Amino acid sequence: MSGMAEAQTIPITPAGQPPQVIAPDATHIFAARARRFEQLAVGHSLSDWLRFLAVVSRVQQEALQAFPAIALPDAAELARAREHRMPPLPAQSWPRDPAWHEALRQIAAAVRPAAPSAARAALDRLVELPPDRLEELAQRVLQTELYGIDAALLPYVAAALQVLWTAGASRLGANGIAMLDVPGVCPCCGFLPVASVVKRAGEVEGLRYLHCALCNTEWNLVRVKCAACDANEGIAYQQLQNHADAAATTDRAAVRAETCDSCNSYLKIIYPDKGAIDPVADDLATLALDILVDELGYARAGPNLLLVPGG
Amino acid sequence: MEVTRRQFFKVCAAGMGGSSVALMGFSPTNALAEVRTYKLARATETRNTCPYCSVSCGILMYSLGDKAKNAKAEIIHIEGDPDHPINRGTLCPKGAALLDFVHSPNRLRHPEVREAGSNEWKRISWDEAFSRVAKLMKEDRDANFIARNADGATVNRWLSTGFLAASASSNESGYITHKFVRSLGAVAFDNQARV
Repeated sequence: MSGMAEAQTIPITPAGQPPQVIAPDATHIFAARARRFEQLAVGHSLSDWLRFLAVVSRVQQEALQAFPAIALPDAAELARAREHRMPPLPAQSWPRDPAWHEALRQIAAAVRPAAPSAARAALDRLVELPPDRLEELAQRVLQTELYGIDAALLPYVAAALQVLWTAGASRLGANGIAMLDVPGVCPCCGFLPVASVVKRAGEVEGLRYLHCALCNTEWNLVRVKCAACDANEGIAYQQLQNHADAAATTDRAAVRAETCDSCNSYLKIIYPDKGAIDPVADDLATLALDILVDELGYARAGPNLLLVPGG
Repeated sequence: MEVTRRQFFKVCAAGMGGSSVALMGFSPTNALAEVRTYKLARATETRNTCPYCSVSCGILMYSLGDKAKNAKAEIIHIEGDPDHPINRGTLCPKGAALLDFVHSPNRLRHPEVREAGSNEWKRISWDEAFSRVAKLMKEDRDANFIARNADGATVNRWLSTGFLAASASSNESGYITHKFVRSLGAVAFDNQARV
């Protein structure tokens, strides 16, 4: 009898806790983005622009891999951030290592051959700017003031800052980044999400992660919840449908806008059902969705730093 | 700059001419024309609890429908809720077939009664149903209520009737069910279909 009882014992193992935070993988994050931009550019109405952004992303990858070992907050500072539930590399106040200036020059020089003539003049001016002017532009990007004089320079500045913060976030790693009390901002840098992604495989299957527009850290937020105001009610999903199709489509599009009737905002949510996606690239390839959702009266809750939206 | 608790970003048709797309030297004209070939399709995802058993798996129900047109929402898909701590997105075969349950032509849509000795179900109104249930419960309770046991101790039991509530009940409806059933003296009640 006792042998039978033993044979019937099923060991109870705790169910795997899915990760709350996923740190960016510095070995391929921007390279994968570049590939996705190229894929999306095929037959697209903004194909030249998307191809150009593929070049920008590829140079971001090169700049990231050549990036020097920057100083991270020490153990005491990290512990303090964790204790007070503050981001360890805050976008507004982390002392920026001037190494990002070099990354910016590298990006400007490498994308110049691919740039239209209108962009070349701006790039030439950008590389001549003194460090204090670059820091001013950086401050505008980090305060998400994506408009005004020299707005055309801001996406390049943002691209270089993404390299700096992604280098920091990937070195901290998921274990070095703790969740905050506020679910709508990045636990690594406190910046806003560009979009969210519903994962398709492994222990995170079906879970939704917000993707930081600055440092590429991903953090979990339950589905059917507004990323801007935490509301659970009044959430809907809008997707593009051809006017020609009379019947409502039952297929979920790869990119939908998650709209919230509590705060009238939206953020895109991306489903990689049909292969690899990149939140930054897939976002910029679906600006038509932004335009139509804007016309419904919803405002976008997080920026894409490679786009100065104008208007 | 407009200072708000949280800044919103406007990506709109009017802005495209001054956007970085145009500033960098790319023409947004074709893209803007293309926008008008699209309309928006609206869908919702709603959290709920599987009605079958006491495990109470979380589910996500997908429906289509444009609330502006006041069209009736139609549930098109049901899956396990990946965020739910109990089932983490999984469902058993019964739960996985919930969509057919929702759309089944055999669903009970209104109160029905099969009289003793009859083999036919007859539709009745909710008022009739409530009155009938209340009357039968009272008759049975009056006939079978046990106020004291053989030793004369007060027990206030009603053993001849049971009560079946719902497994997807919230704490609050569970509390009310308990208060109602126990105050009648009923001992047998359950909150799930045994599977």
